[in-house]
Amino acid sequence: MSPSLFLSLLVNGVAMGMVYALLGMGLILLVRAVGILNFAQGDLMMFGAYICACLLLDFELPLYLLIPIAFIWFALLGVIFMFTIYWPLRKATYSQATIIATMGASIILQEVAKIIWGSQPRSMPHLVLNSEGDPAVLQIGSASLQWQYLIIIAVGALIIFLITQLFEKLYVGKMMQAACQDSYAANLLGVPSILTICATYIIVAIVCGICGYLVAPVFMVRSTLGTLQLRAFAGVVIGGFGSIKGAVIGCLLVGIVESFSTMAFSGYKDVTVFLLLIIFLVFRPTGLFKGKIGDKA
Amino acid sequence: MRDNLNTTRRTIIKFGVLLVAVVAFYFLVSTLCTSLYTMMVVDIALIYSLIAYSVSVLLGMGGELSFAGVSFMGGGAFLLANLTTGRLGPTLSPVVSFLLIIPVFIVIAFIIGLILLRLKGTFFTFATIGLVQMTFAIYNNYKPLFGGADGIAGIPTTEIFGTKLMNYNDWFPVLLILAVVVGLIVERIRTTPMGRSLAACRDNETAARVLGVNVYMTKVLAFTIAGVLSAMAGGLYAMLTKFVSADMFTYASSTKYIIMAMLGGVQSTVGAFLGAFIVQVLPQILSAFEGFLQLFWGIAIVLLMVFMPEGLAGIVKSLGRKFRAKNKKKVAAAAAAATEEGVK
Amino acid sequence: MAENRTPILRLDKICKSFGGVVTAKDVTFCVYPGEIKGLIGPNGAGKTTMMNMISGIYTADSGDVYFNEKKITDKPDYARARMGIGRTFQTPRFLQRSSVRDNLMIGADLGNKIGYLSGFFGRKSTNFYQELKEMMDILHFSFNWDDDINSLPFGQRKLLEIVRSLLSHPKVILVDEPAAGLNNKEIEYLMDILRMAAKKMNIGVLVIEHSMDMIMDLCETIAVLNFGELIADGTPAEISNNTAVIEAYLGREDDD
Repeated sequence: MSPSLFLSLLVNGVAMGMVYALLGMGLILLVRAVGILNFAQGDLMMFGAYICACLLLDFELPLYLLIPIAFIWFALLGVIFMFTIYWPLRKATYSQATIIATMGASIILQEVAKIIWGSQPRSMPHLVLNSEGDPAVLQIGSASLQWQYLIIIAVGALIIFLITQLFEKLYVGKMMQAACQDSYAANLLGVPSILTICATYIIVAIVCGICGYLVAPVFMVRSTLGTLQLRAFAGVVIGGFGSIKGAVIGCLLVGIVESFSTMAFSGYKDVTVFLLLIIFLVFRPTGLFKGKIGDKA
Repeated sequence: MRDNLNTTRRTIIKFGVLLVAVVAFYFLVSTLCTSLYTMMVVDIALIYSLIAYSVSVLLGMGGELSFAGVSFMGGGAFLLANLTTGRLGPTLSPVVSFLLIIPVFIVIAFIIGLILLRLKGTFFTFATIGLVQMTFAIYNNYKPLFGGADGIAGIPTTEIFGTKLMNYNDWFPVLLILAVVVGLIVERIRTTPMGRSLAACRDNETAARVLGVNVYMTKVLAFTIAGVLSAMAGGLYAMLTKFVSADMFTYASSTKYIIMAMLGGVQSTVGAFLGAFIVQVLPQILSAFEGFLQLFWGIAIVLLMVFMPEGLAGIVKSLGRKFRAKNKKKVAAAAAAATEEGVK
Repeated sequence: MAENRTPILRLDKICKSFGGVVTAKDVTFCVYPGEIKGLIGPNGAGKTTMMNMISGIYTADSGDVYFNEKKITDKPDYARARMGIGRTFQTPRFLQRSSVRDNLMIGADLGNKIGYLSGFFGRKSTNFYQELKEMMDILHFSFNWDDDINSLPFGQRKLLEIVRSLLSHPKVILVDEPAAGLNNKEIEYLMDILRMAAKKMNIGVLVIEHSMDMIMDLCETIAVLNFGELIADGTPAEISNNTAVIEAYLGREDDD
């Protein structure tokens, strides 16, 4: 394998890993907050991609307007999601009910997207274009790296940094988590758990939305975009539940393995990714980093 | 407290009701479904009921959500397709191949269960998703065994006791009997030590442990049963349609089977059967709204989980309980009135 | 009196700590068949932890548990249950979504030692209903088989948990705070059924309880734990005169 091929595969892998990591981080935030595995995570991302495509292509908004308006929509999506899929089910006696409800939500999001925007995939321009309007590339030696991937990596890393700062360093974030985990005690202490849970959902929806915006140029905007979440699941399990750091590393690993196995045996890249997952499950069921919080679901 | 005799009598009544229901169902379908196409829809629904049972065993009794059903279904279907078309060497008859599926998948599902059930709850669910993705990629790409994207066609017509099952009409009684028999077996498991142990693992693992239940092995057994049922369904599907391809065994289709069981009621065998029917037949009736059908399912699932997580069977059960409570009150009131009279 | 018989349950220098908190330190005591033994101590003395180590939910850091003089320290919890260590909990643990029948049958399943396969083909316990009837006569209440377990009042559920455990024919039963949440009548029946278990079924009974009246009335011997240490082990009369016990419960006299 030539160094340039190696480099471009690596950048590809890390970029995809970043996308999975963003999704996976959201998964963990939700598991920590409400103990629920969200099977609609990828579909939130898909919906976010559609929202951005709509604002960008149909309304032709410039970037400085697109970002705040898109954020409002993402947040709204998060709030609606919480009050329809989580809130009515928070006291469900049947622990799987909440998980299956998110599966239902995944179908709903896909179908609503199809009904609003049609089933034709929409293409989104790359964020950085060259003078001819094609995706811009960065030449390093003989390797040409797409700027879009580099942007994904940079933005992904930034978001992950901010979220970990919020939840693991700042008092507000810690309080939010505590409130989510023990709503009774939190209510006694005067922290309304509904607000903190709502805030968590908004953050998760925004992260998913950004994710959608970033991957849209690579994969096109289509209703099946949500299947990317399966790799995020794999990454999260490999990393070990309960720790954001573990999930990020696990997801990056998945992205890189996937990228390189595309080279070796393209049809079986899913096999390698999920074989990796199952090997991890068998030999290290707690993941790379042992989670602090047990499985609540 | 009632005694033994009463339970025996109730069992007999139950069997009677079941027999009447099955016969009625048979004649109802025979008269209503006039075309081969509608018959096919019913036949496939009967096959799906096996998978819905498997969800009922693992999720309803054992409390573990597994997506692995389609992996085993695909495995069963491809094994049968390979054996009957002679791709592995010898050519076997469909019935023999079908019977072979059972021991083969007892072993395979047991081993996979041993591996995956080292994980608990959500992690286990994740791992089964991984399994589905893997098996789909393999089924879809490895041509020698699975035909790749083209699938395997040319599965010969099935022959049972000298009768050839030429079309969907011929298949209907066979599948109906099979679905009922398997349903009875599942129902039987529910009321034996195994079913109770599973219920204990589901509801209170600590209680299960101090009551001598080996939680891990019990769940592995349940996983094995579910796997074999799914593999059998796959084999039947291959026999019925004479064609197998990988795109039937995706993650998306595995959610469909879970929805079936949840809709009917994951705690109930009859519920699983009905759920399979509703999910399979309703789209045909509502074909005018095809574009909105998926959306309808999605909303139905969410509403179902919010208002009646135990599905249709759950509604029937709670209605029954209300009715009984009312009766009890009436009886109590009558008794109270009688004693009052006596006092006077 | 009981010392020349073999104990059914023997703890030998059990130690356990969670993080830095010591919940058991060199605890050694025995339970004999047919004996009702009390396990008492102030809150946080490590009583429930001790039971969890006997039934195998926790493993001891060091020390051994002997069942019928056979070492069971390394056996998993379900195997211990199958050998005959029954258990009830402070808040009864039942199969929430199952009927009363299934909840009691699972106890009988354990006692019958029926495998899953032979159970499937209909081998049944013969005297399940007879045994149950005898116990319900002692407890003075009845229920509808098919009712949800949660439809029963708390007190009855607590008593039924003991019944469930007894249906499995244990050799030893660990009863964790059985009287909490019961009314006076129910406490009487509870004591009746525990006495029946010990005397008629020759089961060794280990009871954790806060109600001193009940413990003194019910138990033949009492072990007292304080901060994980066994501070006394003897008859009720000995215990009530033991200075260490009085100190543990009332605080040192020179404390104030």
